[in-house]
Amino acid sequence: MLYKVLVVDDEAPVRDLLNDLLKREDCKVSICATGEEALELLKKDTFDVVLLDIKLPGISGLEVLKNIRDTDKNLPVIMITGFGYNEDLISKSKEFGCSGYIGKNMPVAQIITTFKQFAKSAKNG
Amino acid sequence: MGLVIKETKEILHEILDNTGVIIIYLDINENIVFCNKKTEKITGFKHGDIIGANWLKILFRGNDNIIKQDMFKAVLDECMRHKREKDFEGVVLDSERNERIISWNLTPVMIENNQTGGSILIGHDITKIREAGNSAKSIDQTLKDILSSLKDYALYVINLNGNITYFGMGSEIMLGWNKKDIIFKHVDILHNIKDSGNNLHFILEQVRLFGKYEKETTLITKAGEAIPVILTANKFLDSAGKHSGYIFIAKDITERKKLEYQAFQAEKLSALGLLSAGMAHEINNPLLVISGRSALLMKERLSQRIKKDLDLINSQAERIQRMVDRILKFSQKTKPAFGPVGVNEAIEFILPFAQYNNLPDIKVEIKKIFEKNMRPVKGDLHQLQEVFLNLIINAYQSMPKGGVIKITTSSFRNLFALIQVKDTGQGIPGELLKDVFMPFFSTKNDGKGLGLSICHNIIENHNGSIELESQVGLGSTFTIKLPFI
Repeated sequence: MLYKVLVVDDEAPVRDLLNDLLKREDCKVSICATGEEALELLKKDTFDVVLLDIKLPGISGLEVLKNIRDTDKNLPVIMITGFGYNEDLISKSKEFGCSGYIGKNMPVAQIITTFKQFAKSAKNG
Repeated sequence: MGLVIKETKEILHEILDNTGVIIIYLDINENIVFCNKKTEKITGFKHGDIIGANWLKILFRGNDNIIKQDMFKAVLDECMRHKREKDFEGVVLDSERNERIISWNLTPVMIENNQTGGSILIGHDITKIREAGNSAKSIDQTLKDILSSLKDYALYVINLNGNITYFGMGSEIMLGWNKKDIIFKHVDILHNIKDSGNNLHFILEQVRLFGKYEKETTLITKAGEAIPVILTANKFLDSAGKHSGYIFIAKDITERKKLEYQAFQAEKLSALGLLSAGMAHEINNPLLVISGRSALLMKERLSQRIKKDLDLINSQAERIQRMVDRILKFSQKTKPAFGPVGVNEAIEFILPFAQYNNLPDIKVEIKKIFEKNMRPVKGDLHQLQEVFLNLIINAYQSMPKGGVIKITTSSFRNLFALIQVKDTGQGIPGELLKDVFMPFFSTKNDGKGLGLSICHNIIENHNGSIELESQVGLGSTFTIKLPFI
């Protein structure tokens, strides 16, 4: 197994796709649809990486990130968003301590490669 | 007979004393032999005090008046020497040192042997006439000054038939008509009668009903251009108070309109930016699923036909993706990373990319007229390069049969850098000019219509401006102003 990953995305087709893509990369994947659920899961279980959508119903991905950082400074959290390359979102994510940033507008292969790069450097770093 | 003589003397005295002019008889040494009552009244000196005194010394007292005294004496001498009358105007001081303007007639008095025995001075006090004249002249001059300095205003008057009878200075500048060419022409030549609110009949009806007319409208210049103005019309009354026509005052509001349009444009773009960001987000998610699922399927063992279809799905999804990316880029009002940017260097850098975009069989000549050692502007290098690249690619695309692209850089009053990209392409019709910076506007068949709106957004974020001038068949010129750092 490469990584144990938590995928947080409110849209089921996207969530399932990420699940399938990461499983092909030999990851163990857990999925959830909201920030609240994600924080609950993180309390119960340990993960190597969190792939976190920014725009979520209820608490946003950025708030989830902030919450995680309150207790865990080292868990790799990679933000993913349909807004694509957005400087404001990137700088906010960095400010809150994200480990990487992926736009859903990237080609699928690039999304996976980028994810693996960020995860690897976060784990090693 | 004696009675008759006495009576004549009395009559003469009466005439002399009751006449409205100064009458003085001077001897050859300019001493006063006689003066009438009007002299006392105008000068303020008593008859008894001045008889026998030197006239010039009385009227031109004090050192300040020596020149005036000399001038008067010179005129008097000339009159005596040449033995002929002399008329002239001069200022004298009365007993209270008030200045009086007198129009003089000097006549030499001839005695025996053709000798001059003295002179008769007849003086007409014209102080009041001159003062009134001066103030009338000055009001006239002031009005002329005002009318000629009203550059943003056109002032014209029509008679009751609607023919122009006065065309003020500002009118010539604003409307391009020469006074002599437009006088007595019907005012409809100026009024945009296509605009229903501007027809003369309506205007005059408004003046009749409400006493005046005021409306934001347009006037037509000699060249046929419409100028936005605030037009007011009032009744014109002549000096006798008779209603003899109408007076129009038009204020040129081109600049204000331009600013309003820019603000409106900015607002529209920003609303559109928000909308497209939201829309892009909603498209990206399902698009990721479509392309992701087809990419996953491609890895399965499938027939060639299905693989071909999946390929098509993928390439079409990518096409949508590229479009969405452009919209996203446009919608992002990100704060540029400002620093000093050398405009000339930035243009040099992107030129090869622009040329790369061009089809090799199209012959385009690039002329660069760069101001040497120009100050850097304040900007984000990458964003500005994107603007220059867009404009130059645009220029290439407007010349499918080839042509010349002239890129000029210069300083404007040490405040702005001016960058001009001029092509010799097909140009854009006037009615479309205002739309070129709108998103999704394109004159090209395959154009996305985002390039120029992205440029507009970037330049606006740089506190600069971008304008387009174009003439169909001659080409277009983009002018960018960017503040120096």
